[in-house]
Amino acid sequence: MASRSSATATGAFNQNLGAYLFLAPALLILFLSLLLPAVATIGMSLTDVSFLRPTTFVGLDNYLRLLSDGRFQQAVGNTTYYTLGVTLPTMVLGLLAAVALNRRFPFRIAFRTIFYLPVLTSLIAAAVVWVYLYEPYSGPMNGFLVSLGLPPQPWLQSPDLAMTALIIMAVWRDFGTAMIIYLAGLQDIPEEIYEAARLDGAGRLAILRRITVPMLSSVTFYLMIILIVQSFQVFGAIYVMTGGGPLGSTETIVFQMYQTAFGYTEFGYAAAMSTVLFFVILLFSIVGTKIMRRGEA
Amino acid sequence: MSVAMSDSIQTKGSIGATVQAARPVIEALVGYGLLLFAAFATMAPFLWMVSTSFKADPEVFQFPPSFVPQGLVWQNYLDVIYAPDTGRQLVNSLIFALGSTLSNLVFCSLAGFALARMQFRGKTFIFALVVGLLMVPAQSQIVPVFLIVQRIPFAGGNDWMGNGGTGLLNTYWGMILPTAATPFGIFLMRQFFSRIPIEYEESARLDGARPFTIFWRIILPLARPAMAVLGVLSFQSAWNEFIWPLILTNSRDMATLQIGLQLIQSGPDARWNVVMAMATLITVPIIVVFLFAQRYVIDGAVTSGVKG
Repeated sequence: MASRSSATATGAFNQNLGAYLFLAPALLILFLSLLLPAVATIGMSLTDVSFLRPTTFVGLDNYLRLLSDGRFQQAVGNTTYYTLGVTLPTMVLGLLAAVALNRRFPFRIAFRTIFYLPVLTSLIAAAVVWVYLYEPYSGPMNGFLVSLGLPPQPWLQSPDLAMTALIIMAVWRDFGTAMIIYLAGLQDIPEEIYEAARLDGAGRLAILRRITVPMLSSVTFYLMIILIVQSFQVFGAIYVMTGGGPLGSTETIVFQMYQTAFGYTEFGYAAAMSTVLFFVILLFSIVGTKIMRRGEA
Repeated sequence: MSVAMSDSIQTKGSIGATVQAARPVIEALVGYGLLLFAAFATMAPFLWMVSTSFKADPEVFQFPPSFVPQGLVWQNYLDVIYAPDTGRQLVNSLIFALGSTLSNLVFCSLAGFALARMQFRGKTFIFALVVGLLMVPAQSQIVPVFLIVQRIPFAGGNDWMGNGGTGLLNTYWGMILPTAATPFGIFLMRQFFSRIPIEYEESARLDGARPFTIFWRIILPLARPAMAVLGVLSFQSAWNEFIWPLILTNSRDMATLQIGLQLIQSGPDARWNVVMAMATLITVPIIVVFLFAQRYVIDGAVTSGVKG
């Protein structure tokens, strides 16, 4: 390392140039797909760009409009409800699965694989299958309810139930992710702590409550942020399963953004929605990264 | 007296030992029972998918639905395979997924190598930028990415300012572009390259080898496990991708299998058994790839937290 700092100016120039050539393609793609869009969104949100008429600068009008837009507020409410509904059960199920699978026993890997399968499935395939499961007249979910003597439900066709139905499907798809991350976190807890607790006569439940859960707190927080960020951006499942209906009860921010831009060609207004979402998610991500760093240190 | 006492202790001890011996067995049984129940609940949607895909048309409309199909109707799979658009969609999906995988492998490993093993001005800044971009939510960028892809200069009838044509919309290049390199991929490769001991490249450097030679001949062959993780995760995320193909293409000829599945499910003459046959056909390749690469992929998934 020391010898390189004494290299000639030409050598340093070549080294610089070489490194930039290695980096150029990847950085160009990141610039076009992430950096420029992030900046462009903010710029566009200050205009009424729609490509149907000349664009004018409108200042903060789009944001003021968002404040008084009942539909957008409903979407924010729906997104928040969805996010809360998905995050907590996903983490609890993921933790339980991870604790159960964190010791050696026959078929351990088989169980882990099964719990992880929903994560691998394409969102669209999963969504299509769940539309069938929820089918009111011939679907297995209602078949199951009827066999228990319960009344069948309209699931995705009911404004009261549709969001819950989407949440159940999302928890099914995501708890494998939580399990894998918790399993990694559990391996970092030293075995000696458990042994000491066992010698002191602590039971299984006490160990889980007093040792495992507190020792995993940074993993838990990190996971929570990941799930919140991911749930805030839900789109595919809504697009396939409900189309935002019935009565706008499942319309989320990204879905409304998609409709505003590509349905009503109000790109400027959609950009304002996108900017709001962007900063909310960025805030969560920064907090999450800080916590992950602290966990590593 | 001392004999009697030691006897009674022994008896107590052996009763306790029997209970102690039985407890793990009962616990193990309850544990297995709960796990089996959870595993069955998790698998149920897949089992219904496969079961329905083998049903004949009348059986699909029975209520309550039958879990075990009355017979194996392979016709549903043939209907999917011989449908006029499926072949085209499969080709599109493969071009998109393989193109995205290949470009990630090339671009992310090059950039990761520079960030891990080369000295240059602005290195700290560029690495911080990559880490910062990890946090940018891709799904909230659909509007500007659409516009950027539309305005790539000289493409699709555009002038040098990116006006006048359709740019890369409705092309494979346009679909691949937003997924062609990811901050996660660069980060993953950089972390892996950093862990390779410096001794491996020192003698080559003394012989005056260029950075590209060191990268290609020495470092890259050592990075096969990391390339496998990146490859599998890139392929999986592109194969399953829905939003970019949906937004960046609008012609039937460019639809991927995911779009195709959504189209037949929402179509007016949708048949559940055929829809489930297609869902099965789309899901199986990813599960097979995963079963082979399980160990690597799970490590990668932990590193990335979450795919995409």
